[in-house]
Amino acid sequence: MTRKQKKLIAGITVCSLMTGIYPAANAMHIMEGYLPVTFCIAWGVLCLPFAAAGFLKIKKTLAENPRAVTLLAMSGAFIFVISSLKIPSVTGSCSHMTGTGFGAILFGPCTVSVLGIIVLVFQAVLLAHGGLTTLGANTFSMAVAGPFVTYGIYKLCQKCRANRKAAVFLAASLGDLFTYCVTSVQLALAYPSESGGIAASAVKFLGVFAPTQIPLAIVEGLLTTAIVICLEAFAKSELKLIGYKGEA
Amino acid sequence: MIIIDRLCYTSGLRYVNAMEKFVFSMLTLLLCVSSRSVTAAVLVLFVTGILTVGKGGIPLSRYIRLMSIPLVFLFLSTAAVLVNISRTPLDAFAIPFGSFYLTGSVKGILRGAQLILTALASVSCLYFLSLSTPLTDILGVLKKLHVPGLIIELMLLIYRYIFITLHTASAILTSQKSRLGNKNLRTARKAFAAMAGSLFILSVRRSCALYDAMEARCYNGRIQVLKEERPARYSEIFCIAGFEVFLFALIVVLKCKNSI
Repeated sequence: MTRKQKKLIAGITVCSLMTGIYPAANAMHIMEGYLPVTFCIAWGVLCLPFAAAGFLKIKKTLAENPRAVTLLAMSGAFIFVISSLKIPSVTGSCSHMTGTGFGAILFGPCTVSVLGIIVLVFQAVLLAHGGLTTLGANTFSMAVAGPFVTYGIYKLCQKCRANRKAAVFLAASLGDLFTYCVTSVQLALAYPSESGGIAASAVKFLGVFAPTQIPLAIVEGLLTTAIVICLEAFAKSELKLIGYKGEA
Repeated sequence: MIIIDRLCYTSGLRYVNAMEKFVFSMLTLLLCVSSRSVTAAVLVLFVTGILTVGKGGIPLSRYIRLMSIPLVFLFLSTAAVLVNISRTPLDAFAIPFGSFYLTGSVKGILRGAQLILTALASVSCLYFLSLSTPLTDILGVLKKLHVPGLIIELMLLIYRYIFITLHTASAILTSQKSRLGNKNLRTARKAFAAMAGSLFILSVRRSCALYDAMEARCYNGRIQVLKEERPARYSEIFCIAGFEVFLFALIVVLKCKNSI
């Protein structure tokens, strides 16, 4: 074997090992106890304004229409269940959706931030995905940053009269990718690299999680598109109930 | 259906005062995360493990399997903390890659080990709470801590609806599987989307019906139920306080010793 062939084989081995050791690719919840206390508090404080805005919005909705309470709760449960079910993924390994991007398209980002916090608490306590000390950081990446980007892209595409399927796909998958980038930066801020500081560390975290998160973002985009199309075809009256505007 | 939820109802610690369990796990968690001390982490890992498995009666194999859920994240991100890419090799190990090195320092490896132990100990604290206290009891604790009523109400309803929705979803998935809905990736993706769509429609319809049913029983925005009071025992409070003080003292002593 020549040197080149040896290198090639080594590269292939590394790649196959990399895909082999991912038994379950979850959305990227930072696990319990992984962040230092100062970062836990800082991210929590950063989420407060969004949570407060969402809380007031929900309060206003309920004052106008008390029936919305079961609808909101059912939506929260729906997001939890969708994110806890295995989805058919590229490599055949089991992975899970984030679900919050989909929620943002249906309910709007403010409502999703409050529902997202509750769903994250349930995920931590019932499924051991994420944790209570890292709740603030996870909320910021999954229930605030991701949904806002999804919603922004979705609205932007609607303004430009882009293809609907493309709009939903772009919004959901880019929102997912943004969540993954934010989480990597959060980890990098807490653990800067010994050579190269925060930026180098962010690149490392991005690289390590890329094999799971990039396929996941694409699958999430495809699935969200299919679900939204399916809903618009069959659930017009239900969508009106939750205040979803659709193609308008 | 959700394994942690099922186990916590059968735990031997289920009928201990919920506030005690909550305070114990949160204080231990905070001490663990804020100190990052290896000794404290090992101690916490043992104590919560013994409490959950020994006192709570959760099968050991189950407990170990549950502890391995976050291992993928732990493994990957600790690898990212340990390994550096740089032009100059560090002191512990260095694998050359062209003009760069995949390299790490002894200090970094120690820090990684510390991180792994702290994270595992924290997860064991979380498991102590979630494997001994049903979510409805935790909501009772949150109420005492003055979390807004609206949030608690939403949490209670969501908790109830999770099981209804999961039940519907699993029924749909079973019928899809029996019709070869997951034959290949294309059909599997189609089937999943169809399942999510009909799940959403069913959920919305059911939520409307549920509101009617609740309103017929005089629902006015609060579900009021009588709580079963389980007063805290002095011996238990004493043990918890003793343990936390011991842990705190241990951490302080170790910190002082290291700084000298």
